[in-house]
Amino acid sequence: MQSKVTTFQKIAVAVAFSPRCEAIIAEARQLQQAFHSQMIFIHVGKKSMQEEQYLKHLLHRFQLDQPNNEVIWREGDPVETILEICQTQNVDLLVAGALEKETLLKYFLGGISRQLSRKVKCSMLMLTEPNIHPGGFKHLVVEGTDHPKTENTISVAVELAKAFQSNTLSIIQESDLSKLALIRSDDFKENEADEHKETLLKEEDEKLEEILRCTDCGELAINTERIEGKPGYVISKFAREKSADLLVVNSPDKTMNLLDRVFPHDIEYALADLPCNLLIIHPKNAD
Amino acid sequence: METLSHTENISLLLSIGLMLISARLFGEFFRKFKMPLVVGELIAGVVLGPSLLGAFAPKVSEYIYTHNDHASLALNGITNISIIMLLFVAGMELNLSLIRQQGKAAFSTSMFGLIIPLGLGFVTAYYAYEWYGRNSTDKVVFALFMGTSMAISALPVIARTLIDLNLFKTKIGSIIITAAMFNDLIGWILFSMIMGMLKGSANHSVVLTLLYTVAYAILMLTAGRFFINKSLPWAQRNFSWPGGFLSLSLGLAFLGAAFTEFIGLHAIFGAFIIGIAVGDSVLVTEKTKDIVSQFVTNIFAPLFFVSIGFKVNFIANFDLQICAVVLVVAVIGKISGAFIGAKIGGLSNKESLAIGFGMNARGAMEIILATLALQAKLIGEELYVAIVIMAVITSIMAGPMMNWLIKTKGNAEPSSTN
Repeated sequence: MQSKVTTFQKIAVAVAFSPRCEAIIAEARQLQQAFHSQMIFIHVGKKSMQEEQYLKHLLHRFQLDQPNNEVIWREGDPVETILEICQTQNVDLLVAGALEKETLLKYFLGGISRQLSRKVKCSMLMLTEPNIHPGGFKHLVVEGTDHPKTENTISVAVELAKAFQSNTLSIIQESDLSKLALIRSDDFKENEADEHKETLLKEEDEKLEEILRCTDCGELAINTERIEGKPGYVISKFAREKSADLLVVNSPDKTMNLLDRVFPHDIEYALADLPCNLLIIHPKNAD
Repeated sequence: METLSHTENISLLLSIGLMLISARLFGEFFRKFKMPLVVGELIAGVVLGPSLLGAFAPKVSEYIYTHNDHASLALNGITNISIIMLLFVAGMELNLSLIRQQGKAAFSTSMFGLIIPLGLGFVTAYYAYEWYGRNSTDKVVFALFMGTSMAISALPVIARTLIDLNLFKTKIGSIIITAAMFNDLIGWILFSMIMGMLKGSANHSVVLTLLYTVAYAILMLTAGRFFINKSLPWAQRNFSWPGGFLSLSLGLAFLGAAFTEFIGLHAIFGAFIIGIAVGDSVLVTEKTKDIVSQFVTNIFAPLFFVSIGFKVNFIANFDLQICAVVLVVAVIGKISGAFIGAKIGGLSNKESLAIGFGMNARGAMEIILATLALQAKLIGEELYVAIVIMAVITSIMAGPMMNWLIKTKGNAEPSSTN
């Protein structure tokens, strides 16, 4: 595993003492090694001797009990408490376990992990299948939509892929033709409407090429692909079909609420049924 | 079952054939002058109908359209179906998530671009009722209609203008499209309520009409949309595609239209909401939507718009005063509303004014709205002619005015997240 990178200087891990707790700590250890990050382990709930001992044991086992790492025990609302800690501690990346799919009711009410993903003001990694022997992220699918946040997202994904020596990194440009569809051919001559659409899409291609030119990709093999469809849904479907192990997307522009689940868009399509681990990149200067 | 006779059949087919060809010829002619196809289609009706051909050669004009009661009735049925399909396509073009995600500038532009023209239309129609000619005596419903007709906009015309000016993917373009979508959504819901209120006295109370409208919209856009999303993958696997989609979606549109008509709302509302629910599905690609749209806008829309020219004598019913009032109220209301909204959203004076002119384009949607109001006897023919003229003028002026205000073609600020 290569090292370098200051992308995630401070990583927080939400500890829930679930059956997957050990695997999540193992995955966190791998991230810590890749990014030489300072770690914060957060548990929201009553502190019991048994849980304290268990966490100590896990941290020791995965060599995460270094002095610069911290364990925070708090009582209160799990979502609000974790959000507050992330903000006050200037956390760069929050790591939490997440079910691939929640029951319909839980999805609409919002499980802890998904609530965090909609509200958190730092990047977040949602692990759907954490492993006690992490294999790293070998196949990455990255959002390449025409958006001001995309450049940073691609740059972080490339750093990550280099750190984990990933095999593939696919950048997906989702063509939301819903607006372009207004350019119906009723008012255009033959092929004129298509030409207009192509011109608009070409501008997006050129922007992506420029981003990739400015990103230090090293030896990494990057392939770009344009797929037509609803942003969020298309990339999620692609990640599932290609059996990707990490989907990297831009953070939402606004805090998502219930209406965004009723009328889903962008990241909500992925959150409804996570195709693999999900990394939401929130640029540091976004707020 | 009574069927059309041999002569009636010939008459009907002749009418449809002539209407489609003349609509295309006039449409293409006006397109050369950068005008929407709908302008040519309307003028084809004016030329072939009582306004021109009817004045010089009434027998020829009558033969084309009205000489035969049964054929006219059949044609009337076809044009009614056309309106339902047009509204279904208009619904498919709305993007709920785009409206949900609108930023501050788009939101304030939407709100003010809706409220100010609506308020101005309502107030002038209520307090200066006689300015608008002879219309329905129910002043509240009439004033509500005028408010709504001032608030609506024409997405396809706006999209075309933005493309021509190279503004489609700019911040201004994004704001105009989102705000126009929002205005259309609210506008059609309001219009449906008004039509329900008009029928309301016979069927049920105004409150019940409002309740039915909101309940239908919420139910179809949540549970209905969920059901459509779950059923489409099955249909996609088992039916030929996109042919299967064409029949299923239009079938659903007619069922929705029948249901809303049954509960006392207007049929178009059912089709419009089904259009939104179907168009929002992740499984329906833009290519598939385009097939439905092409089918409707190139066959049924021309029949509808040409038939308008047949039904109304545009020359006899032209009233300069009413035209001026409608045009002034429409232009002032929409431009000032969108201007204030865009200014609040942080745009410059010129940009805000350009947004105002962009949203001012009324196009085909306004004409459909007015036709339905005319059919329901809510408005008279003089006001109808004035609204059609306003729709055409506002559509034509949008491009040159925006171009003049933005000038630096292609240099507008690119769209981001608003």
